[in-house]
Amino acid sequence: MNTGNLYHESELVSLLKQRHEHAFNYLYDHYSGSLYSVIVSIVPDRELANDLLQEVFVKIWRQIESYDNEKGRLFTWMLNVARNASIDAVRSKSYQQGQQNRELTENVYEEGGSVQMNTDRIGLRKIVHKLKEEYRVLVELSYFEGYTQDEISKMLKIPLGTVKTRLRSALLQLKQVIKP
Amino acid sequence: MDIQAYIQSGIIESYVLGLTSSDETAEVERRRKEYIEVENAIIEFSQSLEESAFEHAIAPPPELKSKVLSAIKDLQKERTLVTPTEPNERAQVVQLQGGSNWRLIAAASVILFVVSAGLNFYLYNKYSNKEEDYQALLLQREILQAKNDVYQTQLKEWQSAAAMIADTGMAMIKMVSPKGKDDVATVFWDRRNKDVFVMVNRLPEPKVGRQYQLWAMVDGKPVDAGVLDPSCTSVCKMKNIPKAEAFAITLEKEGGNKIPNLKALFVLGNT
Repeated sequence: MNTGNLYHESELVSLLKQRHEHAFNYLYDHYSGSLYSVIVSIVPDRELANDLLQEVFVKIWRQIESYDNEKGRLFTWMLNVARNASIDAVRSKSYQQGQQNRELTENVYEEGGSVQMNTDRIGLRKIVHKLKEEYRVLVELSYFEGYTQDEISKMLKIPLGTVKTRLRSALLQLKQVIKP
Repeated sequence: MDIQAYIQSGIIESYVLGLTSSDETAEVERRRKEYIEVENAIIEFSQSLEESAFEHAIAPPPELKSKVLSAIKDLQKERTLVTPTEPNERAQVVQLQGGSNWRLIAAASVILFVVSAGLNFYLYNKYSNKEEDYQALLLQREILQAKNDVYQTQLKEWQSAAAMIADTGMAMIKMVSPKGKDDVATVFWDRRNKDVFVMVNRLPEPKVGRQYQLWAMVDGKPVDAGVLDPSCTSVCKMKNIPKAEAFAITLEKEGGNKIPNLKALFVLGNT
């Protein structure tokens, strides 16, 4: 997928900050697939995911000014833009209502146990589901659903310290799995 | 502080993925400046995250690219409109200062839009009515023109008839009904070039499939001088007749006959 670096990252960023359309074109070609998989892993609805990908690239274009390469890689920054936009979309009222309807119909066929909502898990989310339950829940709630550690601690009635350490351990495990 | 233990605690991963609390974030950012190991760990995880994301990349629908690019083009246009050359800071200042003005302008432009939409509707209706009136006038004009053309032709015909009557070189032969009926027709015979013209003064309307025919009596024998064109309403040009003692009109089949049907003789006149 990573087909030859035409631009060095710092060069690309500086061109983007100068609003070079050609650089943006390259950015899209180079990163749309990986950002799309980030979006799709949070928002399984493809149509919404398509809208989100567009929204994310528009955001990147608008906010590239605020990206600081001292703080991290361009992709990490874009990943968080994509992740936040996706979580916002999933948390929106209209999406929640649609989801509730879906849940009701799906529950008809449920034979008990935990509700398996997203049958077509993708990318990172698929890997996360290989983690043990107590880790999986934390990654799900924090990374995919955007809850803060404080919120998770209250939701799961687990001390904040435990949430922290468990999440960190979960991510370490995850890192082992995704290591190329 | 055992920095290796800190790095291996999973805090780096939480940080890169944006899952840390603000306290934790501040802590990591402080330590990455202090310890190169922390900085390196951040870079390392970011890279492996990126590589993994590329590995699991899913190609978006191809048509999405042009949508995204055109959205960007639109933004680019807006941007050049707002700030021709200056970067962001300038634009922000302008926006803050002009906040209420923009509202006023927006409100004014909405009102203008509504008014102009109303005006457009009114003017369009007016325009449609005028268009109809204009079409009606055009039609009337065409009818008048057609009538005028008919009158013009008739006038010309009568004018030439009048000229023939006045012409002294023209022999005028009045043909009347031998049976004492009211039927009358006139032959104008040019003495100079022997051209023959006929004018129907009064003859009954021929039946369908029948047509009047003019005959010249030459040495006691009838010679065809042509059929009368029903569309000719005044003086009609017939065949050239060099010599004749008399002219007569009979009713024949459409297109005329070679020999006259004397039973259907309508008018007759001697030269």
